[in-house]
Amino acid sequence: MLQTRGIELKNLVKVFKKKKKDEVRAVDGVSFRIAEGELFGLLGPNGAGKTTLIKCLSTLLIPDDGTAIVGGCDVNADPLGVRRKLGVLTGGERSLYWKLTPVENLNYFAALYGVPRSETKERIHYLLELMDLFDKKHERVERLSSGMKQKLSIARTLVHDPPILLIDEPTLGLDPYFARFIRTFIKTELHEQLKKTILLTTHYMDEADELCERIAFMYNGKIKALDTPHLLKKRMPQEQVLEVKCVGDIDDQAFSSMHEYGTLNLSKQDGFTYVRMSTENPEDLLSGVVEIVRDRARVLSVSVTSPTLEDVFVHLTGASLKDDTTQQ
Amino acid sequence: MKRVIHYLRAINAENMKEWRIELKYKPDFFRQFFAPFVYLLPYFLYGVALLGGRFSEHLQSITGVADMIAYTFIGYLIMGFLNTACWAMGWSLRKEQWYGTLDTVFAAPVPRWVYVAGMAFHSTLHQGLIMVFQAVIISVFFAIAFKTTGIGVVLVIVALMVVGLYGLGVLIAGLTIGLKQWWVISEALNTLMVVVTPIAYPLAVLPVFIRKISLVLPTTYGVMGVRHLLLGEQIGYDLTTILFRLAVILIVWVTIGMGVFMMMDRYGRKKGFVSLY
Ligand SMILES: Nc1ncnc2c1ncn2[C@@H]1O[C@H](COP(=O)(O)OP(=O)(O)OP(=O)(O)O)[C@@H](O)[C@H]1O
Ligand SMILES: [Mg+2]
Repeated sequence: MLQTRGIELKNLVKVFKKKKKDEVRAVDGVSFRIAEGELFGLLGPNGAGKTTLIKCLSTLLIPDDGTAIVGGCDVNADPLGVRRKLGVLTGGERSLYWKLTPVENLNYFAALYGVPRSETKERIHYLLELMDLFDKKHERVERLSSGMKQKLSIARTLVHDPPILLIDEPTLGLDPYFARFIRTFIKTELHEQLKKTILLTTHYMDEADELCERIAFMYNGKIKALDTPHLLKKRMPQEQVLEVKCVGDIDDQAFSSMHEYGTLNLSKQDGFTYVRMSTENPEDLLSGVVEIVRDRARVLSVSVTSPTLEDVFVHLTGASLKDDTTQQ
Repeated sequence: MKRVIHYLRAINAENMKEWRIELKYKPDFFRQFFAPFVYLLPYFLYGVALLGGRFSEHLQSITGVADMIAYTFIGYLIMGFLNTACWAMGWSLRKEQWYGTLDTVFAAPVPRWVYVAGMAFHSTLHQGLIMVFQAVIISVFFAIAFKTTGIGVVLVIVALMVVGLYGLGVLIAGLTIGLKQWWVISEALNTLMVVVTPIAYPLAVLPVFIRKISLVLPTTYGVMGVRHLLLGEQIGYDLTTILFRLAVILIVWVTIGMGVFMMMDRYGRKKGFVSLY
């Protein structure tokens, strides 16, 4: 099948050589296929290899092995062809010239990315309106907030109206308002309206769950699972999750006696610690878990929920999405 | 055809972007117009101290030019182009790395040489403007009488030399993306050229083995050719030789520069250095 707007990876490998014998297999034999118009998510913790994969696809890195076809062009044989099809959002707000204004930035990138002169003005106008940045068009980028910079980066990515988009951590470090705007924009505008083919990476499971039609779990350079969010959650042997929200420090050692009953997922967010046990019978574990937590921390609430993608990720990889697996 | 227009626009956009960014740092931009006078002064004073005045019979006897200031000034002006090639072009990718924009620039659907050409175009305009400004001020202030008959050939010589120097600039730019210790090499190359080019002295005073090195540098022929045409320096080469050698040097240097650049680009993308800063 000739895919002119899809992405296809076969056994892609990228190894970084460190000092002496040390090496990092940042992308380690990855294969998958993204269909035209699909919104595909790559979910994995820091250091999983998501950015490296994106750089291989955007011809900024040369893979060591395997093949990648982007928009019908091979990244090794026809890098220029690949780049014509692609919009890449990476590096976030730093991918702009901070001393220049949004209009100056977009003008430059429009010319560089081959937007005909006659269409440039209209295109920039459209993008600024679309990203709600029209009032700020003559303000220097350095004076814009992080959220606005990220919106402008997205406008920059779209300047030449590419059919395929690679979006690396679009909401990293943004406040909830802008994160919401950008997620909605990706889903309704880019995916539903404009029907772009999108590869999005994130280490926020909510983001992947909410946006993506299919999700690949990436961990240590490998794809650990690939499916729709719904079917991924079905992979949990346990149907329910007992969650204890508390304040204080807890480590997994404390729960060593409970391993046989279910999968433990410990995480911290906004100063709270969340203890999540995936299990068949939350009621049976309730008193035991609360006991352990109460010994070391103050319990705020206890609830029973269904598994999240995070629980599935922990179940399948043994690592949390909040871990930092970067190898120095 | 569509592609040619795209590339030409990209080259110009590169140039315009550089102007815009430079003009956001106004004091620094205007400093560049005046700073060279400060650097030149020690040369002049040193000359005056040695000679007891601006004019020298000895200089006249070995070069045919008596006016030390005019003599030195042209050498100095030519070196400005060397500095632009090494620093403006050589550092341009470094700057993009530092801004964080290099990935986005390199992910654009244009071949790498388009980016290189954009940098070169900008450097030429930028440095050309500063040169003209300085030439006018100095020649008026010191009442230097340049011969104007050969001005067309002067421009050709300068153009050949400048493009040759861009070979060096591109080479240095390539080193920044491929090697961690790139600046050691670029410093060394720049210093070597400054020392070995006959800026403030005739070729004849260089020791023989250094003279051999200076004969493969475009700046040597640039300085000699321009000084010969504007001041009537006796240089021991006829103009055709100078033009011919400049052309050969241009081809060799640009080929080497682009070759190293392409090699380093590939090497960087293999090793993953490109976007590190
Ligand atoms: N240019 C490089 N040179 C050497 N090692 C690298 C380079 N880029 C990435 N790595 C290593 O490759 C591994 C994967 O990194 P990568 O940035 O792809 O992960 P990631 O999933 O994008 O993580 P994050 O969520 O932190 O962005 C890490 O261990 C990292 O240290
Ligand atoms: Mg990353």
